[in-house]
Amino acid sequence: MSVTSWVNETVVRDPTERRIFTILGIVTALLVVGVLTGVIGIRFLLFQVSLVGMYALLSLGLNVQWGYAGLINFSVAAFWGLGAYSAALLTAPNSPLGLDLHPAFGFLAAIVVSALVAILIGIPTLRLREDYLAIASLGLAEVIRVIILNERQWTAGSSGISGIPSLLEWLPLTSAATTASVVVVLGIVVFLFLRRVHRSPWGRVLRTIRSDEDLAKALGKNTYQFKMQAFVVGSVIMGIAGAFYAHLNLYIDPSDLVPLTTFYIWIAVILGGTGSNRGAVVGAAVVIAIREGTRFLNDVPAINTLGLDLAPLRLLFVGILIILIMRFRQDGLLPPKDELIWPAAKDKTTAAGGGGSGGPNAQAEGGDD
Amino acid sequence: MIPLQISPFQYVVNGVVFSSIIVLAAIGLSLVYSIADFANFAHGDLMTVGAFSALFSVSFLQPLLGDVGVFGLPLWFFLALAFGMLSAAVIAVITDRIIYEPVKDSGSIGLLITSIGVALVYRAMVFLSFGSESDRYGVTRQGPIPWVRETFGIAVTPRNLVVVFLATVLVVALHLTLTRTTLGRKMRATADNADLARVSGIRTSEVILAMWLIGGALAAAGGVFLGLEELVRPRMGFDILLIVFAAVILGGIGSVYGAMLGGLVIGMVHELVPLFNQWGILPVGSRYAAAVAFVIMVVILLIRPSGIVGESG
Repeated sequence: MSVTSWVNETVVRDPTERRIFTILGIVTALLVVGVLTGVIGIRFLLFQVSLVGMYALLSLGLNVQWGYAGLINFSVAAFWGLGAYSAALLTAPNSPLGLDLHPAFGFLAAIVVSALVAILIGIPTLRLREDYLAIASLGLAEVIRVIILNERQWTAGSSGISGIPSLLEWLPLTSAATTASVVVVLGIVVFLFLRRVHRSPWGRVLRTIRSDEDLAKALGKNTYQFKMQAFVVGSVIMGIAGAFYAHLNLYIDPSDLVPLTTFYIWIAVILGGTGSNRGAVVGAAVVIAIREGTRFLNDVPAINTLGLDLAPLRLLFVGILIILIMRFRQDGLLPPKDELIWPAAKDKTTAAGGGGSGGPNAQAEGGDD
Repeated sequence: MIPLQISPFQYVVNGVVFSSIIVLAAIGLSLVYSIADFANFAHGDLMTVGAFSALFSVSFLQPLLGDVGVFGLPLWFFLALAFGMLSAAVIAVITDRIIYEPVKDSGSIGLLITSIGVALVYRAMVFLSFGSESDRYGVTRQGPIPWVRETFGIAVTPRNLVVVFLATVLVVALHLTLTRTTLGRKMRATADNADLARVSGIRTSEVILAMWLIGGALAAAGGVFLGLEELVRPRMGFDILLIVFAAVILGGIGSVYGAMLGGLVIGMVHELVPLFNQWGILPVGSRYAAAVAFVIMVVILLIRPSGIVGESG
């Protein structure tokens, strides 16, 4: 299989997508050139890569809930915070718990805690109309934030936890490179896992629930259980992203647990294309570009002299972006297409139907899973 | 302002005042929920917009009217309240026309997500026009009414009375509108079954216009009262939104009278949390008041998802 046909088959499927990936390619090339010429520090770039990876994990997690099963989770920041605090409390030597454990325990605790909280919030809300979950999850997020802020004896409150150890210090790489590789590996593993389950019967039931829950029920599916599973899987991925963030930033405080963080991830998912894993990753990169890009505006003298405060401008921008996506491009940049179809099944229809659907995927060789 | 030995009735007084604010906010949220059929996450920030519009109007109303007072509050405050209500109503209608109306086809979930964007835009606008600092209306602080304090040992300020009185007037006016006028009957019919209402010849666009006007005005009144009792802050509406949602769910989504009752209960519980804590019923203090309201909401969802007033099932 040649490289171009593989790219055409797995990544790029139509002119719009080709344009989007061309832009992404150009941006990547510019960043590489920037590093080579010394304009962009390599440490800075690796930190951004880690951030994008973490946002991609969060978006992938939300995509399981909202994209696959249609669950409105407004507590992304809370699950992320639970993960981050689980990791920080168990591993940092100067955390209030003072356990000083290996980071592996932090990740394990992040998974267990986020799964338990997801089940707790899912029990009362997942049987009801989908907007109940929206309200309850936003409430849950606030409760978790208030608890972390107030229970100083457990969480150190607003002063936060510092001295969180870096990951895999024995690797012969700089710490920035290590964390970036860790998140890239994590991201790839989660991505492949999700792609596999999305195509599985489980994923098909979830998609049925999203488009018509009554239909899924009529087919004899226990939709409550499926929704619960999707909710827990997504929340655990968010918890893992949080644990990773604790080891990336080496410091954590409750100020990032605000709802705005949640809405950033929502933008990443709906901008990328609801239900599309590739979209979630691309959306995460775009959101980080927006967040970090507007930070640079602080250094532009023209804006400084105008005396503009950038935080509300960013808020305005985020709000307008949500409204515009919902109005003009609800499918997002990379809406899910035939990647949901099992490759072998695609081959059979092509062979039988004589390539009726056309396009580059008609010549798909498939079998790359 | 509050005496050292706080009487239990003091918490009840605080509860009544806070409930009035929550009820006003909950009615608007519930109207939108039943007629436009979506959870409007921008409702809290609409309260903020109303409160800040009133604050803006103070700057020209106060010099104009001077210190003429009614009911223990300056006249300009009442005009500022009216100004805030009018602005929020107009802004709510404009928002519906240019933002919600075009995305109506994407259903209640699409509208819900859009309303998050609207909430952020409202808040950003408030930040950009008024800065991020807290502010006051500049109504001279008055102590509690002396004779109430001496006889009952509780502090009731004139502004407490004004807030509760005006909230009651607004709620009664709404009740009369819903039950005695053609518009009210149309609104109730649309809330019950929009399609049926439309085939019966009700112009639903008219109903939706009325809904946004009423909901926006009441939200602004709630916001102004909250600003009067506490501070006018850019995050005030969003911070209170969760409690308002808890009230709406408690009362049964879509039922305006349920929202009133839910608002009363949730507002009261919110203010009674420190008292329950004192009595040893609750292990947490006032910092967790909102969390307690939230837990009540979750419990209601578990045992009676249709709310205390809504039909079961």
